[in-house]
Amino acid sequence: MSTNKHQQVKKRDEEFSQNITTKIWEETPDIKNPYIAGSSRCHGYELTELVEKCSYIEMFYLLFRGELPNKPEALLLEKLMVFLINPGPRHPATRAAMNAGVGKTDPEHILPIGLTILGGAHLGAGEIEAAMRFLRKHSRRPATQVADDLLKNSSRPDEGDWHIVPGFGSRYGSVDLMPNEMANTLASLDDDWKVLKWGCEFSRSLAAHQMGWLSTGLAAAVFADLGFQPRFGAGLFQLLNAPGLLAHGMEQANKPITAMPFVKDEDYVIEE
Amino acid sequence: MSSKSNVPDTTLWDKNRNKIYSKKGGWLIGKGVYSHGYDMMNDFVGKVSYMQVMILNATGKMPERRLAEWFEAAHICLSWPDPRIWCNHIGALGGTVKTSAVAATIAGILANDSRSYGAKPILEGMRFIQHAMKISKQGLSVEEIVEAECAKHGGKPYIMGYARPIAKGDERVPAMERVASHLEFSRGEHLKLSFEIEDYILEKFSEGININGYVAAFLSDQGFSPEDVYRTCSVVVNSGVTACYADARDRPADAFLPLRCDDISYQGKARRELKTFM
Repeated sequence: MSTNKHQQVKKRDEEFSQNITTKIWEETPDIKNPYIAGSSRCHGYELTELVEKCSYIEMFYLLFRGELPNKPEALLLEKLMVFLINPGPRHPATRAAMNAGVGKTDPEHILPIGLTILGGAHLGAGEIEAAMRFLRKHSRRPATQVADDLLKNSSRPDEGDWHIVPGFGSRYGSVDLMPNEMANTLASLDDDWKVLKWGCEFSRSLAAHQMGWLSTGLAAAVFADLGFQPRFGAGLFQLLNAPGLLAHGMEQANKPITAMPFVKDEDYVIEE
Repeated sequence: MSSKSNVPDTTLWDKNRNKIYSKKGGWLIGKGVYSHGYDMMNDFVGKVSYMQVMILNATGKMPERRLAEWFEAAHICLSWPDPRIWCNHIGALGGTVKTSAVAATIAGILANDSRSYGAKPILEGMRFIQHAMKISKQGLSVEEIVEAECAKHGGKPYIMGYARPIAKGDERVPAMERVASHLEFSRGEHLKLSFEIEDYILEKFSEGININGYVAAFLSDQGFSPEDVYRTCSVVVNSGVTACYADARDRPADAFLPLRCDDISYQGKARRELKTFM
């Protein structure tokens, strides 16, 4: 094969920043050692004061949104955090963490392993941004109309679940009961959570087709109502699900390797 | 299931419950270890290259040895031990806080799922050249192909596989051309088109083809799909990340680019008082 004539490699005159910049965290150096922080502030508030006066939920919201939440915002976030604390022992991300645990993987890797698998676009963090964008774009139109249009213009896949849009669909062929129940509970909290309420109506419009809220859709709606940007959605979802992944992974870590199933040879089918 | 039926159809999940179906192979205990119909211990070990097996496992097709050699050379091109490169930087940061080699390397590899560099842009690079070939065959000129692509980005020459950050030109392209020549690969239609596009954008925008564009065109000529190449190249940055990890790991902790407090430029809200809750 002959070679082509290409341009000579030359450095571009790109200006890279001299420093890392942040609007989130400020550290004031100690007088004696500039590498040691004498004090730290989050969005202007002293960390020591935040430790003294703030709940974890308030601090969490402040870190990402730049302001402390009001009571309804803190309550909504807390409820979602409780609901999402564990994707459950059947979720593939949890099972990845459990597999790592029972396989005697170093404990510090168990959570990253679970979180990485939780990044998937099916019932995972990879679905959240798209779900948030869908909700932000469509929640100005009547939910029933949006659902009707979607049902008219798309079709159920030949096999497996149908996620008609990110965050909404069927789970093992049915409506997933828990996120639907939780969405109704959250939507009935005092404040007027517009995206959540719209999502509940949208979900009801899909019920006859065995579809509704998925946990990812519910997370996306709450994040949208709380004003988080869609690109933050994936990581927030991972953060909120993290405790369950770790708990299940560590539960298996002290058990023998035989404590989890190893599919029998006769049930391992190599297809031609 | 009828869409309005009240009885969910769980056949798919029932069929797969407690059972694994594999098109790839597996370990039949006491009989052998199989991959895509090959007996790994007898057909592979000592007979084929590791890269051939990697490509087979990623794509389901056993490549000829020279193609695997070409892939191996491309992997060398796509990972160097410079910790200023983003994924390698992560490896070095892992080293400086004494994470394990596996963790740091995997963290760096994960970073190459990026819109900017590493394995993921190859998807778009291949989609571009394969689409360009299709519309070229429909009669569009190189100029029209480039203009149509630039129009998607406000007239700017953002074409996946051309130009690169930090530098103009790409030393890896001529290196890979030499490898292809040595392995006696002929120049296929995708590669020819990719170089015609390069000639045009070199003249118009003073930008050239990059390694992504070259790899995308070469492998399109070899019949690969974008997903095939993405899967094969999933750990393409591996060696550079491990190198940078090792360098930092073997030095004192926190010695890789340490930051003083005032090395971070804070641009947020001024110090303020916390009122009681809200």
